[in-house]
Amino acid sequence: MQAIEVALLHFCEWCNASFFGTGIRDSVWLFPFVEIFHLLALAVLGACVIIINLSLVRVGFRGDRTSMLRQELRPWIIGTLAIMLVSGFLLFSTEAVKCYGNWAFQLKMLFLLLAAVFTFAVQLRVAKQEDPSSAARWSVAVISTLLWLGVGLGGRAIGYVTTAATAVNP
Amino acid sequence: MSFDHFLHWLADTQFSSVMRDSLWAEPLFETIHVLTLTVFLGFTLFLDLRMLDVVMRGKPIGRMFEQMNPYLFGGFIVMIVTGILLFSADPVSFWATIFFKLKMIMLALALVNVLVFNYTLGNRMGEWDGKPSTPTGVKVTGLVSMILWICVVAAGRGIAYALPPP
Repeated sequence: MQAIEVALLHFCEWCNASFFGTGIRDSVWLFPFVEIFHLLALAVLGACVIIINLSLVRVGFRGDRTSMLRQELRPWIIGTLAIMLVSGFLLFSTEAVKCYGNWAFQLKMLFLLLAAVFTFAVQLRVAKQEDPSSAARWSVAVISTLLWLGVGLGGRAIGYVTTAATAVNP
Repeated sequence: MSFDHFLHWLADTQFSSVMRDSLWAEPLFETIHVLTLTVFLGFTLFLDLRMLDVVMRGKPIGRMFEQMNPYLFGGFIVMIVTGILLFSADPVSFWATIFFKLKMIMLALALVNVLVFNYTLGNRMGEWDGKPSTPTGVKVTGLVSMILWICVVAAGRGIAYALPPP
């Protein structure tokens, strides 16, 4: 376990010192520029998840079959998730060591892993089924919402949690 | 009362000082403001993409409006209310940034775009909705809307960097 922690910290130090980490950190406009992509992808990814969940619980989008919406939105979920991961990684790399010791960031990554796995392994599978049970539809929608909310709230909290850097690689 | 007077009057209200000094007000309302992007901006971008014939081409735009309208209205109200709350914490500093003024201009233009559509092409939706491809005017509306909303987001991010540190 300790070997993993050391490896992770080394990775964070490498990110901090990388050309993109230093480049974005030293630039006045690059950080907000990357943030805009992160926010736009958030809007579209969030909308996809919400549309599928509303359709699953049959509160919204009742004129459409959930399986049809799922098929239309799946590429957008994959695409925007990719944009979020790349832009998120770039933002992270500007203060990777700080993030390493930030509990909000750790929580966000945990929720992100759970939310991504749940989306592809469970939500999109149930949404494909012809007639999933009411219990399945509701539990998928509620769990999906809570997991992604965890990612969002964790992300918002990162900036408000101040951490002492465990190692600094100037 | 001039606009500058209004900004200073607002800044001097008790409401403004509560918003400014409260430890939780700014994080709370900014979090709601950002997360509501998923409902308001996300749905809007999907409508724009539909108008551009990029997504859900088999689905009539009229039906999409009907399905999304309650969430768009609700989301917009949340965005405006939380936006006003964040603004009133420090109205003078917000107004002093070029990004806030740009954001308000883009926001106004985006709303004009919606109104123009509603009173022109949107009024005659029956004539073109459901055809294999949307008319050029509808595509232009979608593209203009997308560009303006992206500018609103970009300017909004700019405000955070232009404001004096707390």
